[in-house]
Amino acid sequence: MKRFGSFNIFSLIVGFSFLYIPIILLILFSFNESRLVTVWGGFSTKWYGELMQNQGIKDAAWVTIKVAFVSSTIATILGTIAGLVMTRFGNFKGRTLFSGMIYAPMVMPEVIIGLSTLLMFVALAIDRGIFTVTLAHITFSMCYVAVVVQSRMSSYDDSLTEAALDLGCTPFRTFILITLPIILPAVISGWLLSFTLSLDDLVIASFTSGPGSTTLPMKIYSMVRLGVTPEINAVSTILVGVVTLGVITASLIGRRQKQQVLKTQHT
Amino acid sequence: MSENIQFSPWLDSSQKPYIQIQNVTKRFGEFTAIDNLTLDIYKNEFFSLLGPSGCGKTTLLRMLAGFEKITHGKILLDGEDISEIPPHLRPINMMFQSYALFPHMTVEKNIAFGLKQDNLPSNEIDQRVEEMLELVELTDFANRKPNQLSGGQSQRVALARSLAKRPKLLLLDEPLGALDKRLREQTQFELMDIQEKLEVTFVIVTHDQEEAMTVSSRIGVMDSGNLVQVATPAEIYEAPINKDVADFIGDVNILKGIYKGQNKVGTQLFSEDSNSIVYATQDVGASVEDEMWFAIRPEKLEISKVAPSDDHNILKGTIEDIAYGGSFSTYHVKLDNGRILKAIRANRERTKEHHLTWDDEVYLQWAPHSAVVLLS
Repeated sequence: MKRFGSFNIFSLIVGFSFLYIPIILLILFSFNESRLVTVWGGFSTKWYGELMQNQGIKDAAWVTIKVAFVSSTIATILGTIAGLVMTRFGNFKGRTLFSGMIYAPMVMPEVIIGLSTLLMFVALAIDRGIFTVTLAHITFSMCYVAVVVQSRMSSYDDSLTEAALDLGCTPFRTFILITLPIILPAVISGWLLSFTLSLDDLVIASFTSGPGSTTLPMKIYSMVRLGVTPEINAVSTILVGVVTLGVITASLIGRRQKQQVLKTQHT
Repeated sequence: MSENIQFSPWLDSSQKPYIQIQNVTKRFGEFTAIDNLTLDIYKNEFFSLLGPSGCGKTTLLRMLAGFEKITHGKILLDGEDISEIPPHLRPINMMFQSYALFPHMTVEKNIAFGLKQDNLPSNEIDQRVEEMLELVELTDFANRKPNQLSGGQSQRVALARSLAKRPKLLLLDEPLGALDKRLREQTQFELMDIQEKLEVTFVIVTHDQEEAMTVSSRIGVMDSGNLVQVATPAEIYEAPINKDVADFIGDVNILKGIYKGQNKVGTQLFSEDSNSIVYATQDVGASVEDEMWFAIRPEKLEISKVAPSDDHNILKGTIEDIAYGGSFSTYHVKLDNGRILKAIRANRERTKEHHLTWDDEVYLQWAPHSAVVLLS
């Protein structure tokens, strides 16, 4: 392995600073005693306590968690099915179109997704609320699950399924007893991924939410427009923590699974 | 099966075939993998499907298991048409080339899997799993996961799992392909023992002709979607139906001959290689001047430095190469016209004493009944 040259270390520091100094500042100032956001007044956790008194933020957090939980669960079910179909059924007619349509939301501007789902809800005269936000989140996070599951399925040995069928297991039971347990890590990391995506989505939620369904990112955004308060720093820090935890868990699961695949291939 | 030394139900017209493959065709799009194939397999047979890769042998096996749909024709098992029965309802089990052990289950759970699908009482499942573990000598490994097993152990778990349901027919797809040579030979005998002990009909797919010769009651040699010859290993080896079969099974010298008629010694063929008439005892229906071939296995060629006393079936040449194989040596003998023939000689005395070495002028002779005349 090549040693780090001084230039490399410099680039690394500059790059990471660029990415993380704002977040670190945000976290630091969430523990600021002073009411003025940019003036350090000593360490304190009082803004976290204050947060607990803020009914608006608590409501928004609760909405966000509900939406994230339901949408990521449904997106995981649908995304897993889509991922399976794409690997299992080989080259069926319209496969390219189908996979293109699944991946499209990954590259589609969020504004477009938000706007188009809003138009649909209006056209269908569906009252906007938690339900519509959840639907919209399912739509855009499903593709991430599909990608994760598909990549796991590409290294899945189809003869495992055949062996189970051969031993008298019905196709459905085979999926439950054999396929699902083997791809479970991928499914879980897909779920975590869509959970975090739903958690920090602002744009699509703004388009599709209605009264009483303000999500946490929306709440933060509206509070910021009235001026940044240490309270916002505190709630953002919590959000950063949750998302980081989700992403790290997802990648750890993914790595463990990759090692397992390698291990079985070696023996 | 000790009382049944001559096991050959295919010669007994009163025997009913156990598996009947009737005019089966399988197409993948434009490609015809199996072309109007008909084959009967009898109870307790150890039947090998042998052929080069892409000959359709695996496709045929997968059709027996139910993983491939038949395009035309049908397959009967014990007189019942199973063509439309999905794999999980067929009383047939298969051992996969990759073994396909369930990685998230222990050895024990893998073996019990099929039995659980039949909703057997748990004490019976335990008992059968125990039996199977004993059969494949893996009792101590019951709680291991597949990734903690060696190749040979995995192979035996796969075998135990596929036998646990006591299928009447077991399909084996290249069962020993992933094992090294020594282990493979040992396992071949184990397979034969198990097959006899449990009285299961085995259909095995292999590309290894030695393996097929060792284990089979009969071999079906396949090529481009059809059976070329179905016979016992000895028949396939000693009386191949054409050049391709002769060449595919074992080593062989194939020489061209022009048919010159019959006399009291046998069939007379003019050989360009010896520039003389050679004899074979086999009768052939042909007309004079027809072109044909005769095949001689290397071990049936007598190699010697001394000219044989009688002058039938002799070729002269020089030793070009010697492959010393311990118990035997293979000599590559170059004829005067440049053709190279292979002759095998058992090293009954130590090599020093028989004085056959490079560039020696030697005579190759074979008995008229040792050569097989091939029309195509």
